[in-house]
Amino acid sequence: MAVAAVEGVRFAYGDGVRALDGVSLSIRDGEHLALLGPSGSGKSTLLRALAGLVPHFHGGTFAGRVVVGGRDTREARPADLAGVVATVFQDPEDQAVLNRVTNEVAFGLENLATPPGEIWPRVEEALAAVGAEHLADRAVAELSGGELQRVALASALALRPRLLLLDEPTSQLDPDAADAFFDLVESLPCAVVVSEQRPARPLAHADRVVFVERGRVVLDAPREDALSWLAANRPAYVELPPELLCDVRGVAFSYGDRGVLAGAALQVRRGEIVALTGPNGAGKTTLAKIAAGLLRPDEGSVRHGRAALLVQDPGRHLVTERVLDEVALGADERRALRALRDVGLEWALERHPRDLSAGERERLALAAVLATEPELLVLDEPTRGVDPERKAELAALLRAHAPRRGTLVVTHDLVWARSLADRIVELSGIVAHA
Amino acid sequence: MPAAVLLAAAVVAALLATHTLSVAVICVVLLAAAWRAPARRRWPYLVGTLVSALFLFCVTPFVEQVGSHPLWTGPTVPVLGTLDVTTEELHGALFQALRLAAVGLAFAVYALRLDHDRLLAGAGWARRSALAVALATRLVPLLERDVRDLRVALRGRNVDLPAVRLLSPLLAGSLERGLNVAEAMEARGYGRAARTRAPRPGWGMLDRVALAAAAALVGAGALWL
Repeated sequence: MAVAAVEGVRFAYGDGVRALDGVSLSIRDGEHLALLGPSGSGKSTLLRALAGLVPHFHGGTFAGRVVVGGRDTREARPADLAGVVATVFQDPEDQAVLNRVTNEVAFGLENLATPPGEIWPRVEEALAAVGAEHLADRAVAELSGGELQRVALASALALRPRLLLLDEPTSQLDPDAADAFFDLVESLPCAVVVSEQRPARPLAHADRVVFVERGRVVLDAPREDALSWLAANRPAYVELPPELLCDVRGVAFSYGDRGVLAGAALQVRRGEIVALTGPNGAGKTTLAKIAAGLLRPDEGSVRHGRAALLVQDPGRHLVTERVLDEVALGADERRALRALRDVGLEWALERHPRDLSAGERERLALAAVLATEPELLVLDEPTRGVDPERKAELAALLRAHAPRRGTLVVTHDLVWARSLADRIVELSGIVAHA
Repeated sequence: MPAAVLLAAAVVAALLATHTLSVAVICVVLLAAAWRAPARRRWPYLVGTLVSALFLFCVTPFVEQVGSHPLWTGPTVPVLGTLDVTTEELHGALFQALRLAAVGLAFAVYALRLDHDRLLAGAGWARRSALAVALATRLVPLLERDVRDLRVALRGRNVDLPAVRLLSPLLAGSLERGLNVAEAMEARGYGRAARTRAPRPGWGMLDRVALAAAAALVGAGALWL
C-alpha cells in the first residue's frame, strides 16, 4: 500500500527558479528510498513537497498532486500531516525549538494532542531508539552536532510516522556514528526517504534508489539495478570519491577547564595534502584553527606559513551583496575572477551571495579563500553538504593547487579522504599523532 | 513561572520607586543573580546593559532643563536651548540610568538563569507569545556565536572588516535561521487547533514564596521605595 504518491509535480519557488519539473513517484509502506542527485537538483524540494511544506510554507507555483497518508497536500497543511510524515532537516541546530532534550522531543507530541500520560514514555522510547537516553537531561544548546542530529531524529520518531523524511541526516556525524545511524534507520518499520550527498551508506541500505537531476527523476529503480545504472552513467556516485589534509606539532589546548588537545602533533609540507579525521568532539576543528594560526595553544609550538582557513558551514559567513565583491574582499579582482572560475561560479559574478544554493555558497566561500593564495590551506569539513560530483571536482581542484601549498583537510568523510590525501592523521581521544 | 513573575515585579518596583538608592539596591540584587551565570554567556547582556545605562546617564543632563545649581553652562542650541549640567539633572540622569539598568539586568537574569521550557509550560493561554519570547531570547547567544563565527571565517580569509559591515550578514543569517525554525515547527505539528501538555511537576513551596515576594515587592515599590 502506498503511503505517498507524487503525481506530475512541477514547482517553482517565488523567484521563478524551477525546482521540480514533472516528478512522479510512489512510496510504499515500509519501503526505504535513497534520494540522490547533485546539489540544487531538487532533492530537498521533493522532500518538502512530501511533507506539505511545498507549497504551503515556501509559496511558489505548484502543479500536480502529492498524496500522503491518503491526504492531498494541497488541502492539508503541513501541521495536519505531522504524525503521518515526519522530517529531519539538514541542519539540526535550526530545528530545535525548546531548551531541554526531553521537552524538545515532547514538543511534537504535544502539538499532535497526544494523551498526556503517553508523552513521557514515548519520549523515553524515542530517545532509547536512537541511543540517546543519556542526553535526556541535557540542554540542547550544549549538544554537539552529532548529538543534536540524534535528538532531531528522536523528535521525529516520537511521532511514530508512516513516512520519515531525512535530509542529509549524517552530514555532521563521524563515520562510526553515521554507520550506526543508518543501521538504526534500516531497522525502522516506517517508510523512509533519505537524501544524502554521501551516497555509499544510503546505497547500501536502501530498497530503491531515485536519482534526481534538474528537477526531474532520471532514475527510479531497485537498488541492484540502480547500482548498475549509476556505474554506467554517474560513476562518481559509486566509485570511491577523493579527499583530505591538515598541519600542527605537539600542542595542548583547553577551553576553560575542558582539555581538548594534549600532545597533538601534525605536519603538512608544501605539495602535500593531509587529512585530519576523528570522532565528534575529538578536537579536529581546534587543531585546524591552531594550524591556521587562529588559536594559540597552551603548550607546544606551531609554525606555519601564510595560512587561510575555510571554516565549517562557510556559506553562512558571506558579507557582501555581490559574488565578485565577496571574493575580492581578500584579494584583487583578477585573482577573484580566477578563483570563481576555478570553482565554477564565473556565471554568478553579479548575483547576491544569498541567492545562491547552499552548495554554491560553499563553493563561493572556497573561492574567497583560494583567492588569497595562502601557503597553507586549511579546510574544515569542506564536503559537508556537497554532492559526489562536486566532491570529485573539489578533490581535483585541491590536487591541481596542491603543489603550490600545503593543504590540511578536516573531514568525517573517510572515503573521500583516502582518495585525496597523501596521509591521514587520526585524532582520537585528545592526542593526535602525525 | 513564579521566578519570571518575581523578575517582572523587580522591574515594576524599580519603575515605581522614587528613591535612587532603592533602585540601586534592586540593580545590585539583579546583578548578583545575573553574575551567577557562566562568564562567557553573561557578558553580552551585562555589557549591553552597562552601555545603555551609561548612554542614558550621559545624554539626560543635556536634554533636561531642571535645577538651579549649574555645574557647567554651554552654548545655546536651537530646539534644545542652552546646554547646561546641573546637580539636579545629574541626579535625575543617575535615577533614569539605574531604572534602565534594572530592566536590562532583569532581562539578563531571565535569559541566563530561567528555565524557559518550564516558563513555556506554565504559560497556559499565552503559550504562543511565551514561545515567541523564548525563541527571541535565544537570539542573543546565537547572535553572539554568529559574530564569533563570522569573525573567525573572515580572519581565515585574511579579511578584516569593521564591525558595522557585519550587521547586514548577521541580520540575514538571523532571518534565515528564523525561517528554518518556523518550517521545522510547522512540520512538527505546531499550529494545530488541539494540543495537549506533557505532565510536569506542580508548584512547590518555593514557587509560592516567590509569588508572595513578587506581590510584596510591587507593593513596596508603590508605597515606600
